[in-house]
Amino acid sequence: MHDVVSRWRFRVLSLFGCCLLLAAGANAASVLNVHDEGRLHYVHASGSVIVDEGSVSGSFPGSVRVRFLYDGEPQVSASFTITGHGGSISARGTGRLSSPTSATPSFRGHMTITGGTGRYAHIRGSGELSGVYNRRSYALAVQASGKLPY
Amino acid sequence: MALALCVCLPAATALAAPTAAAPPAVSTATATQAASIEAGFAPERLGAATTVSLGFQIAPGEAPSGLAAMQLAYPRDLGLATSGLGVAPCQPAALEDFGIHACPADSKMGSGTAEVEIPLGPSVVTESVALTLFAGASPDGYLHVLVYAVGARPVEAQVVLSGVLLPGRLSVTVPPIPSLPQAPDVILTRMRLTLGGRLTYYERVHGRSVAYHPPGVGLPDSCPRGGFPFAATFAFIDGSRALASTAVPCPRHH
Repeated sequence: MHDVVSRWRFRVLSLFGCCLLLAAGANAASVLNVHDEGRLHYVHASGSVIVDEGSVSGSFPGSVRVRFLYDGEPQVSASFTITGHGGSISARGTGRLSSPTSATPSFRGHMTITGGTGRYAHIRGSGELSGVYNRRSYALAVQASGKLPY
Repeated sequence: MALALCVCLPAATALAAPTAAAPPAVSTATATQAASIEAGFAPERLGAATTVSLGFQIAPGEAPSGLAAMQLAYPRDLGLATSGLGVAPCQPAALEDFGIHACPADSKMGSGTAEVEIPLGPSVVTESVALTLFAGASPDGYLHVLVYAVGARPVEAQVVLSGVLLPGRLSVTVPPIPSLPQAPDVILTRMRLTLGGRLTYYERVHGRSVAYHPPGVGLPDSCPRGGFPFAATFAFIDGSRALASTAVPCPRHH
């Protein structure tokens, strides 16, 4: 799909810094209020799966790679890994897609940290995942937020 | 005379015309009425966007009954939902009242043909029907499809069918299609649809409307052993059923 993809412009906003914030506070018995976002661009598609990459801006800068699944079920899912200074954090989320026939349907749901490396090897937590999926460009505008114990 | 046909097809599924790239795979299973389906991709390249062609044919038995519903199963990892086809909804009422010009250009998802049998006195006449596939509004989070069917001779008719695209399957309800007064309903015997193809959409860029061509349905990076499976269940008004299945062979490596 590379020839097709080359014509598409993927601008993805993702808010995953919350995970990194979680990691940063892993040794403290506290709760972190997280709200972060980033931008991704289209990399590849395989059927109902879209892969995007980009940089995360917000609480913890880094790069992110997202695997987004939309197979017609209103419940979409995404798994992603953020790689920042000191390690990486992986998470998985699901959300319900609304107005799927529009050019840019939105979704909102829940995400859970699934693991990490380096400084974030023991990161855990969960939060809210929301955003917009651009059906023309495969762009994802994603936000992640939540109160994360660390 | 104008007939209103409303076919509800999910956004992901379209019955498509056979592609020139490769003959569609065909398989048949028999119930009271025999049915067969066909499917094909063009181009046939894994990991790439493609046009999906789907079709079915029903051979009525001695006491033919009209088609009431159809479920078409397709590979769940086929990128129908992510195709970018149908990025604006068409309203069924407007489609029925005013035809295809009532639908936004961005709602068109494909086209096709169909054949119906019309009882006219002691004989049965076959009529060719042109199909246009549109995205319908989604009241439930699933992708919905409208099929606008237009026939001219011998009976002038317009019908809208509606369907819903569920994960891995397209569910279509076929309403009774009246023919002439006092005559039996029309029987749908064949349909071929192409999902995707040469479509032109428009998007706003810096305040201007810019045309683009949606890429189509994405094929997965890998092909299952035995090819991409498709299957269909047909339910008829008299309660009988027919099953059919086929598989699109895996693309040859280039």
